[in-house]
Amino acid sequence: MNRLFEKCLLGWAWVSALVLIGSIACIVGYLLIRGFGTLNPALIFGDTKPMDALLLKKQVFDGLFPAIIGTLLLVVLSVVWAIPVGLAGGIYLAEYAGKRVKRTLNLFFDILAGVPSIVVGLFGFSVAIFLHKHFSDNVYPCLLISSLSLALLVLPYIVRTTQVSLENLSAETRFTAPALGATKLQNIFYVLIPKSLSGIVSGVILAIGRCAEDTAVIMLTGVVATAGVPKSIFSNYEALPFYIYYISAQYADTQELLTGYGAAIILLALCAILFSCAFVIRKQLAYYAFYRA
Amino acid sequence: MPFTVRDHVMERDIKIKVDRLCFSYQGHQVLENVTTQFEENTLTAIVGPSGIGKSTFLTVLNRLWENIPEATMQGTVHIRFDGRFHDVYNGSFPPPKLRRLVGMVFQTPNPLPMSIYKNVAFPLKLAGEKDKDLVAGKVEKALKKAHLWQEVKDRLGDDANALSGGQQQRLCIARSLVLEPEVLLLDEPTSSLDSKAAAIIEALLLSLRSNCTVIVVSHYLEQVSRIADRVVALSDKKFMEKSLQKPSE
Repeated sequence: MNRLFEKCLLGWAWVSALVLIGSIACIVGYLLIRGFGTLNPALIFGDTKPMDALLLKKQVFDGLFPAIIGTLLLVVLSVVWAIPVGLAGGIYLAEYAGKRVKRTLNLFFDILAGVPSIVVGLFGFSVAIFLHKHFSDNVYPCLLISSLSLALLVLPYIVRTTQVSLENLSAETRFTAPALGATKLQNIFYVLIPKSLSGIVSGVILAIGRCAEDTAVIMLTGVVATAGVPKSIFSNYEALPFYIYYISAQYADTQELLTGYGAAIILLALCAILFSCAFVIRKQLAYYAFYRA
Repeated sequence: MPFTVRDHVMERDIKIKVDRLCFSYQGHQVLENVTTQFEENTLTAIVGPSGIGKSTFLTVLNRLWENIPEATMQGTVHIRFDGRFHDVYNGSFPPPKLRRLVGMVFQTPNPLPMSIYKNVAFPLKLAGEKDKDLVAGKVEKALKKAHLWQEVKDRLGDDANALSGGQQQRLCIARSLVLEPEVLLLDEPTSSLDSKAAAIIEALLLSLRSNCTVIVVSHYLEQVSRIADRVVALSDKKFMEKSLQKPSE
């Protein structure tokens, strides 16, 4: 009976893994089949010369270049806002918070993680309106408001993964540095964080993915269909997920729809590059923390 | 209660005094009214069944237990440094300073994922030592004391995790010794090693007691009878002296 159960469990695990891998392969394969043909410099740069576009000498009006730059800026800015706060929050919850504070804040972050992104978008939009009304007429929904709203959306992922990674370290790892005369802060920065970097980076990767794909938040907080490369963080901007949504909802002909698939492939590639950057940074950080410090 | 000058003239051989120590974890009493003392430059072995509180007792001596949530302690621990007894739970004796004087080695070797040299130099870095020559000298001295220098002197830059289990444990002992502690606590240091590696550690412990007070938690009575000057058994939350039968020559 036990052997049969074990075999069934193993079979179920294999089927689940195959379904997962198959789904990913189907999605990526379908995108590639539909969109690969549209991938060419014209899709990204339109009629503008690539070097002129890259050096920001000329605006690109009929290509995805502004949306790529907008998405990159949006993701980087959001993660830049979210990482320091998320890391500090996670470290506080894992290493300093008392039982009651931990329970309360964990509940708060769980609720925040469950808030629909459209609600976060509405909140960001309300903040922009409030600032416009009470502080400056020049404040509108813009890249800054979008990135702050997205940072709020992904904050719980970073906080919780940091907290859980730190809490899961073994007692022996926790005691290594204190037994050698380390202060609590030295222990956190020299041993605990480097040892839990893998988990922390997983949280950052989740955050990057969420920032890159979310459309609901940015629709209400500053993204537009045509804005060009944003001149500052107070400008409107274009973004790939919004372009994909916009094209799929309002395409004029099949060729235009296919450019949406092309944009989706570029978005996936962009995420892959950002994930790779996160891994390289993790490796370098661990190297610095353990070998150079 | 503070010790008077007369006290420590009479007790000049005593290094550690533990008085009415009670320890509980998650509301469960682990140690109850433990009163004992440890002589200077001797090797004391603490024996007893698993889970009875031997390792906990060691963490009381260097205040490492304070990192364990839901643990509480009562009683006093006095350790003699620079000729006079200090209450180690006094506010003026911060734990990092205490732990540099009272080193600890764990059951499982726990080298950090860095080079052999940097592992041993790590405590000096934590203590703020920046003189590279001084650090290099202390690292070499500690590795020699830990009987490891000859084996690693040509590959100090190699990853410490590439060493064998026994070598890793000696590395961890060297890492504690680099701070020149006056007391060294070892929590079952040979339990995860083979007999050959254990024998090397035993010889190392015997050589350490000439300038360090060594307290070892061990399960192996045979080993204890070979190396210990004194054996105490922890039973029913209390310490009891145990007669020591040295193996026949």
